[in-house]
Amino acid sequence: MMPLFTVEGLAGLLFFVFVLLIILGALAATHAADLIRAVSGLALCMVGVAGIYYFLGSPFLSLMQILIYAGAICIAIVFAVMLAEPQGVRKFRRRHPIAGAGGLVASALLTWGLASLALKTAWPQAPEQINPGALEDVGRAMVTTFLVSFELISLVLMIVIVGALVLARQGRSRAGPEKSSNS
Amino acid sequence: MSGYFKEIYDGGKSLLVGMGITFRYMVQPVVTLQYPHETVPMTPRFRGHIDLACDQAGNHKCIVCGTCQRNCPSGCISLKGEKPEGAKKKLLIAYQLDFTKCSLCGTCVESCPTDALIFSKNYNLAGLSGQEFILDLLKRQEERSK
Amino acid sequence: MSLFPEIIRIMAYVVGVLAFVGLNAAFLVWLERKVAGHIQRRIGPKEVGPFGVLQPVADGIKLISKQLVVPAQADSLLFRLSPVLTMTLAVTVFVVLPFGPSLVARDINIGLLLIFAFLSINVLALFIGGWGSNNKYAVVSAIRAVSQNVAYEVPMLIIVITMVMITSSMNLNVIVSQQGNLLQWHIFPWNGSILSPLAFLIFFVCTLAETNRAPFDLGEAESELVAGFHTEYSGMGFGLFFLGEYASVFVGCALASILFLGGWQCPLGIMPGVHWMLIKTYLLVFVVIWVRWTFPRTTLYGLLNLSWKVLVPFSLVILLVTAAQLKMPWPF
Repeated sequence: MMPLFTVEGLAGLLFFVFVLLIILGALAATHAADLIRAVSGLALCMVGVAGIYYFLGSPFLSLMQILIYAGAICIAIVFAVMLAEPQGVRKFRRRHPIAGAGGLVASALLTWGLASLALKTAWPQAPEQINPGALEDVGRAMVTTFLVSFELISLVLMIVIVGALVLARQGRSRAGPEKSSNS
Repeated sequence: MSGYFKEIYDGGKSLLVGMGITFRYMVQPVVTLQYPHETVPMTPRFRGHIDLACDQAGNHKCIVCGTCQRNCPSGCISLKGEKPEGAKKKLLIAYQLDFTKCSLCGTCVESCPTDALIFSKNYNLAGLSGQEFILDLLKRQEERSK
Repeated sequence: MSLFPEIIRIMAYVVGVLAFVGLNAAFLVWLERKVAGHIQRRIGPKEVGPFGVLQPVADGIKLISKQLVVPAQADSLLFRLSPVLTMTLAVTVFVVLPFGPSLVARDINIGLLLIFAFLSINVLALFIGGWGSNNKYAVVSAIRAVSQNVAYEVPMLIIVITMVMITSSMNLNVIVSQQGNLLQWHIFPWNGSILSPLAFLIFFVCTLAETNRAPFDLGEAESELVAGFHTEYSGMGFGLFFLGEYASVFVGCALASILFLGGWQCPLGIMPGVHWMLIKTYLLVFVVIWVRWTFPRTTLYGLLNLSWKVLVPFSLVILLVTAAQLKMPWPF
């Protein structure tokens, strides 16, 4: 047990603050009736995760987490909400009777799987000092060791974008002939 | 494609021209008047409320004929005169203008046989009660002639 | 590390940054009104203090003394959260800005990334403020602000990636120390990329758009949306939005001067220090104000077209040319 009133002790306290942020944010994200509140909860949760990354000595990952998840993804969700829901808040419909039980089972399975995986994996020790060349290391790893997975991920994103474009164009071309046949 | 670049070029150039204009304006001297601290002299044709004119000696020229009072469409002028013992002419003892009713038509000034009335240049008129706009012109004239 | 010096250091930084943000906002309000006045050939504020310099103080006292009214139908949690969040994010960013060789609160390796990470959440703060107000004007303004920020973040980040490729560092202090004198500034085409003047221009335009400044102030278009996302805010709620806006204007201009104009370095290479940083940044802020009082507001479509059809292709070209130039320096 570490004494509380030292730098390390306060940092440990901060760790629990971040955990609390994650839990509160996740609860807000899943339980809020208002979509915008849910998005805000998601952003809060992401910021908490970023804090954990920072705590584990990886500021680069933590800031990327904020930039991409709290910044870009949440903004994208907000964008979708803006486009899809012009008439404001809508109440959710009644859930299916077995939805709650199913969710419980699924989340228990997921938790069990992740926890056992986390316990079995031999984690590397978090570095004591933040490596000054960490950014270069990340870059080098991305285009040498993990090049294939990196490229595969970009391929998946590419397919997603093309697919989205195809769907969007389809909607448009279907509307076109209808209009012309009417006139 | 060349239209695209031309539009960007022309647009950028016009933006720079605009910024040049505002910069020139910025370094030029200020043209506004700092009103409560500075005032412009009023134009000669400005019609404020009426005042009694002063002659060279500092006296008014009113002969208490009452023409202005009779001609006033709003009935806002009231003047009183009396003849002291042994004097030939009437002497003005009170000239009151109720500026709350005045419509600034100027009939009083036009009808005055001795040109004793002028328009004042007073435009700083503000007050907390209507009483402040019932002006004693004789007093104002005496103060000015001092 | 012992605890108490560390805590005192952190508190000194926090107080210093907050004081700077407050003074900066006061100075910029005054500067903005003075410049606006002179561009319209007026004087601007002149009554409170010499040359009206105490006018922002008077305004601030007025704002503090007002009540913060929360509309009855508003989402009061989001409504109260938004101005605080805006201000917090703007202040956080100041932590990594190098004002001088050693005058930086946290000299971290990836300061540039930190600034963009926190600025990217800023728009979320605006959005929850506008949404939480439960006001049609505020919602329309929030929607505009989001689409505008998404559109302009793309070219801005591409330009920043280009600059990171040239400087090969994300540490702002390292970037500054590479630009010892005028000839080594990254804005000039012989340092790094031949297209860097264009990169500077794009970065500056994006800064204007990201900070919701005219001519891109569609978010708070006074003549159509009352006051945009802060329509419903009174007193210091509005004041915090204001402080946050001026803080992010300062941050944007400070970043431009760090990336392109050599930050705290002297153009002649003598006496570098915090004064050069402030001079450069406030000159850029002056240009921002000058632009605001020159151009009328654009339309939303004009603004989005400018970003997606002009700035994004141009910045991609800059990125490619710079990458090519860095890998094969011979033809240049």
